[in-house]
Amino acid sequence: MKKNLKFILLLIKYKLSHMMMFRLSFFGVFFADGTVFLVQLLAFEAIYSRVDSIGGWSRGQMIIFVGTFSIINALNMLIYFFGIVDIPGKIKRGDLDQYLTKPFSPLLRLTFESVNPGSLPLVAASVLIVCYGVSVTGTVVSVSLGLAYAALVLLMTLLWYDMELILRTIPFLVISVNGIMQLEELLIELNFKIPGVLYKGMSKAIFYFILPYGIMSTVPTQLLSGALTLPGLAQALGVVVVFTVFALCFWRFGLRHYQSASS
Amino acid sequence: MALIEAKNLTKVYKRFEKEPGLWGSVKSLFHRRLVEKEAVSGFDLTVERGEFVGLIGPNGAGKTTLIKMLTGIIPPTSGALSVLGFTPNKLQNELKRQYAVVMGQKSQLMFDLTPADTFLLFKRMYEIPDDEYRHSLALLTDLFGAGAYLNMQVRTLSLGERMKMELVTALLHDPKVLFLDEPTIGLDAPAQRQIRAFLKEVNTRRGTTILLTSHYMEDVRSLCPRSVVVGGGRKVYDGGTEALFDAYQTHKKVTVQFEGETAFTAPDACALLEQSPHKAVFTIPKERSGAILEQIMREHSLSDISIEEEDIGVVVEKIYRQETGARL
Repeated sequence: MKKNLKFILLLIKYKLSHMMMFRLSFFGVFFADGTVFLVQLLAFEAIYSRVDSIGGWSRGQMIIFVGTFSIINALNMLIYFFGIVDIPGKIKRGDLDQYLTKPFSPLLRLTFESVNPGSLPLVAASVLIVCYGVSVTGTVVSVSLGLAYAALVLLMTLLWYDMELILRTIPFLVISVNGIMQLEELLIELNFKIPGVLYKGMSKAIFYFILPYGIMSTVPTQLLSGALTLPGLAQALGVVVVFTVFALCFWRFGLRHYQSASS
Repeated sequence: MALIEAKNLTKVYKRFEKEPGLWGSVKSLFHRRLVEKEAVSGFDLTVERGEFVGLIGPNGAGKTTLIKMLTGIIPPTSGALSVLGFTPNKLQNELKRQYAVVMGQKSQLMFDLTPADTFLLFKRMYEIPDDEYRHSLALLTDLFGAGAYLNMQVRTLSLGERMKMELVTALLHDPKVLFLDEPTIGLDAPAQRQIRAFLKEVNTRRGTTILLTSHYMEDVRSLCPRSVVVGGGRKVYDGGTEALFDAYQTHKKVTVQFEGETAFTAPDACALLEQSPHKAVFTIPKERSGAILEQIMREHSLSDISIEEEDIGVVVEKIYRQETGARL
């Protein structure tokens, strides 16, 4: 475990060194991610500025929801997105060969070798939005509630990771998954705008248990605003555990079916 | 116990066939005809500690597939395989720490950083102690005389310099087995010579077992006392390299340029491959090459002459034909 952590830190250092080789690109990434964030913020402002309640949620809860989704998205981009986004390409080109022949977990290496510090300001700005949302709801956040919220956000980031990994493991078995990637983008965009509490019946089953994008921001928001029930929390934790176990098993299954590429 | 032991190793790939054109594409949406291709078939191989073995064969013979199975990258379809007592496709780190693989067309260097950065990453990955790392790095860079470009951005290095750095990277942790897949591909003659000298030294000094695939006769001939010839996924020869070339490399390929327009007729026992008024390309039997060339030079005015060894593919085809009575 300690060795893995040391190696992950080294990968992060190398990524930073790599980025610093290109000065414009290094500073540009902060600008680019900051701009994306501002655009998102303006879009939400336009949509929700004149709405006081959606599906029983107050304006304050909506702001927390938006901020929470933004934190999870920013953590995703900060830590692992750029590492695992190219897994299908690496499978297709046979580039996984170099990962499989080294005495370090290929998945850990892929996950942490492309951290993106440009997303740090986005994380900070998203936290500020959540703080603003909390002040609007008038909730008093104790240290333990704050820590529980942070833990839940990290678990939901893990769930997002699981989903991305599962979809990017499919190319071990089929040639092209472009359609699935497009569907993923659409689902994320949809769930970035609609809180999970709005889903009912079949759509709730889909977005809570099959493609659980619906709970990612909803459950931490419910926790912070005092609306999360114990069964709701247990359900969310269960989904994270099941998807994490499935993602890892599916990855191992995929690796066993890796055929490399002809040279 | 042998370091590498493969018995009846087989790898079958499945690929689908599509009829040409748009209609073929539409049909392939609903029905795909899978075709099986046996890349490696019933392959037996035993390699002992310290051996330097050449894997020879034309494109598509199954050499790279074999290396990929030996390194655990892909699983065999059937057969038994043991490398250093491990089953490679279980991908155990204990095995990976004991071998290294260099693929001529796939780099493990970080392109935008320096070779020294990659070395440090590998030091951590293979948990090489500081003293051992310093000693290993000094030895390897000294052998290559490559100290000057350790701190240069990899993307600015020439192909030959990059390949040297690939080999240093692979050997830092002093692996017991080194798999080399076309390490000299695309390199000029001086770089090829340097790499050959380096590999010979590593094999002798460190006792590293090396399995080399190459298209270049000279690589195999100057480095590998033992050769394994692969054709159509099968082993068609396993034995001494010199004996192989003595037995099967029976002809030389000669290209002559004439000073003026010449009506050239190939001497007896020669096979004409190409002819124009100013040039002729033909093969001659090795044992009669001196006499025949003397005769040609006596009868014609030549502006240039070059003599090459027979192509590796031709040698393999001869062996394969002799073994099976078939053509590749």
